[in-house]
Amino acid sequence: MIYDIIIVGAGMAGLTAAIYGSRAGKSVLVLEGNIHGGQIINTINIENWPGDYKTTGAELMQKIYKQAVDLGAEVEYDEVIKIVDKGEQKEVECEDAKYTARAVILAMGTEPRKMSDKQARDAGNRPVSYCATCDGALYKGKPVVVVGSGNTAKHEIAYLEGIASKVYHIHHDDPIPQDAAAVFVAIGRVPSTECVEGLIELDKEGYVVANEDCTTSQEGIYVAGDCRTKKVRQLVTAAADGATAAEKAVRYLNKI
Amino acid sequence: MKEIGAKEFEAEVLQENGLVLVDFNADWCGPCQMMKSVLEEFAEKNNTVKVVGVNIDDNEDLAREYNVSGIPCMVLFSDGKETKRVVGVQSVKKIERMIGV
Repeated sequence: MIYDIIIVGAGMAGLTAAIYGSRAGKSVLVLEGNIHGGQIINTINIENWPGDYKTTGAELMQKIYKQAVDLGAEVEYDEVIKIVDKGEQKEVECEDAKYTARAVILAMGTEPRKMSDKQARDAGNRPVSYCATCDGALYKGKPVVVVGSGNTAKHEIAYLEGIASKVYHIHHDDPIPQDAAAVFVAIGRVPSTECVEGLIELDKEGYVVANEDCTTSQEGIYVAGDCRTKKVRQLVTAAADGATAAEKAVRYLNKI
Repeated sequence: MKEIGAKEFEAEVLQENGLVLVDFNADWCGPCQMMKSVLEEFAEKNNTVKVVGVNIDDNEDLAREYNVSGIPCMVLFSDGKETKRVVGVQSVKKIERMIGV
C-alpha cells in the first residue's frame, strides 16, 4: 500500500501531525523505533501544556497517541534506516520492512549526546544513564559521577546530591572516578537525523534546515519538532510544527 | 497488571511453571508509566505469559537481589529461572520478540 503521509517519529510533533493528517482524510502511517511518546515521557511533572496543568509526560502522550489512532492513523514500531526520494513516491526503509508514501514528515526529535569512546571504555560495565530523575534513586547512598558542564549537568548534580553519597562532576574526556557506581551523562542533545543524511539539507550540527513553514530542501518532505533548526524547543512548539507540517503535506498531496 | 511484593515473589514467580515477565518499576519513573500501558496491551494479546510488576521502592531487597540498575527493567523467568532481561521502555513488538511469542 502507498500511504499519503508517512511520519517518522511518534513524539509530540509526529503524533500531532498524525492527528491533523488523519483529520484531513489522508492515510497516515507513523513509524517509531522505540515507543510512542518521545522525550517528554521522561518528565514526571508538566506545568506548561495548556489545559493539562500538572500532568505527566507519559499520561499526556498516551492520550495523544490514542487520539491519533482513534482518528485513523496507523503506528508501526520499526526503526527508519533510510529514506529514498523518488519524486512523487518516497520510500522509507526500516529495520523490518519498507514502506512507501507520497509525502513524508520528519519528526525524529533529538537524543542525548553519547560519551566519548575513551570515557565509555572507562565506564566499563557500570550503568550509564542520561536521566538523573529517571535512574538517580537507584543509587541511593552510593557515589555517582555526572559528565557535562552545561545547565542540564548542573540540574542533574543538584538532583543527585540529595540521593547519592557523593557526586563527582567531570567534563567530557576526563577520566571516570574508580568508585562511581553509575555514570550520568549530560553533555547536550543531538538531532536524530541520521536516516536523512545526504537526502536533506542539514546544518552543521545535524538539524534539518527549515523555516517556520516546516518545508525542507526536498519537495514533499516536511519537518516538525525538535529535529529542525528552530529557536524554541518546547512541547507546544513541537505540536504547532506538527500541525503546520501536516497542513503543508496535505496541500502538497492535493496538488500532485 | 498485578503488582507483587517480596512476600508473593516466591509463589508468583519462582514457583511458577512457564513464562513470567517481571516489570521492575517505580512511581517516580515516567517511562515506567508508559511501560505499564504497553505491558497491559502485551498481556491482552499473549495469555501464555504471566506479567507482574514489582515496585522497587517498596521492594528494595528484590531490586538489589536481581541487580536492577535502570528502570523499567523487564526480567523474563522461565520455570522460575531468569532467562532474559531488557532495560528501558519497549514496544509490544520488541517485548514479543524478546520472549519469542
